[in-house]
Amino acid sequence: MKIKIVLILLALCFTSVATVWYYVFQYSKTHHRDVESENAISVTAGQLVKDYQANESSANTRYLNKVIQIKGDVIKEGKDQAGNYTVTLKSNDPFSGVLCTLKNGSKINSTHSTIVVKGICAGFLTDVVLNEGVIVK
Amino acid sequence: MKKATLLLFFAGLSFGLHAQKIFSTKTGQIKFNASSPLEQVVGINNQVDSKMIDKTGQVVFSALIKSFKFENQLMEDHFNENYLESSKFPKAEFKGFITNIGTVNFAKDGKYPANFSGTLTIHNVSQKVSAAGEITIANGAPTVNGAFKVKLAGYGITGSYIGGKIANEAEVTVNCKYQ
Repeated sequence: MKIKIVLILLALCFTSVATVWYYVFQYSKTHHRDVESENAISVTAGQLVKDYQANESSANTRYLNKVIQIKGDVIKEGKDQAGNYTVTLKSNDPFSGVLCTLKNGSKINSTHSTIVVKGICAGFLTDVVLNEGVIVK
Repeated sequence: MKKATLLLFFAGLSFGLHAQKIFSTKTGQIKFNASSPLEQVVGINNQVDSKMIDKTGQVVFSALIKSFKFENQLMEDHFNENYLESSKFPKAEFKGFITNIGTVNFAKDGKYPANFSGTLTIHNVSQKVSAAGEITIANGAPTVNGAFKVKLAGYGITGSYIGGKIANEAEVTVNCKYQ
């Protein structure tokens, strides 16, 4: 009887250790946040930049680390130093826009000048910065 | 005659002083490495905003903490939430000068040593720092490289894993290719 209990306890211990190990070292390595499946806050590029310029800390409370879906006119397409595609959307301020780095492998495949892009907001430098971006339209 | 030459000289000098160029990029790269023998702790940020003035050597690198991407999502979450507290302090920045910019010939392709000196702000703590690096000129466009040693405790970054799984001192390497 005692042996049985010890065995069960050992088995439980082993399973929990294995689960934690799997989550920390395997699952987290291969599973990143999935922008496509998360609900997004919809906003235009102009409004997003305006919100950040008006009050950066309250804009951070609203947008930082959240998935946002932005509609705007493309003013620049490029590549970062790692080879990821980037797209910059226009705001009403010519010195500031929305810079979005697209997720591995994604690129703009439409010729439309107005696009809708979804990404995680990282904050505000010269532009409002988004990463893990995907083109919605 | 002498006056005219002098005037010409100063005119030339002032032209030289004003003809400075600001190089910039919004997609520079910073690598954060706090690996220990026990664990690889590496995050890469490809959204670095940087500007550099060729004449004065004035340089600024600005990075958002949330733009650092780790291979392991859990590590990235811990980096943001427990260590750098990126919701409270979303930015890190170096502002300063490349002190030996005079030795760089922007018109001639090649590699030139670069010494950085300035203020590094991480986790809302500012420290005077200096670092060594390099400027590479290729087809008239400069790329700046620099390696900063960052003692985590010096920036108020604490946590039980620091000194164990995470190194006490992180190496922050900057690589900005200006357009």
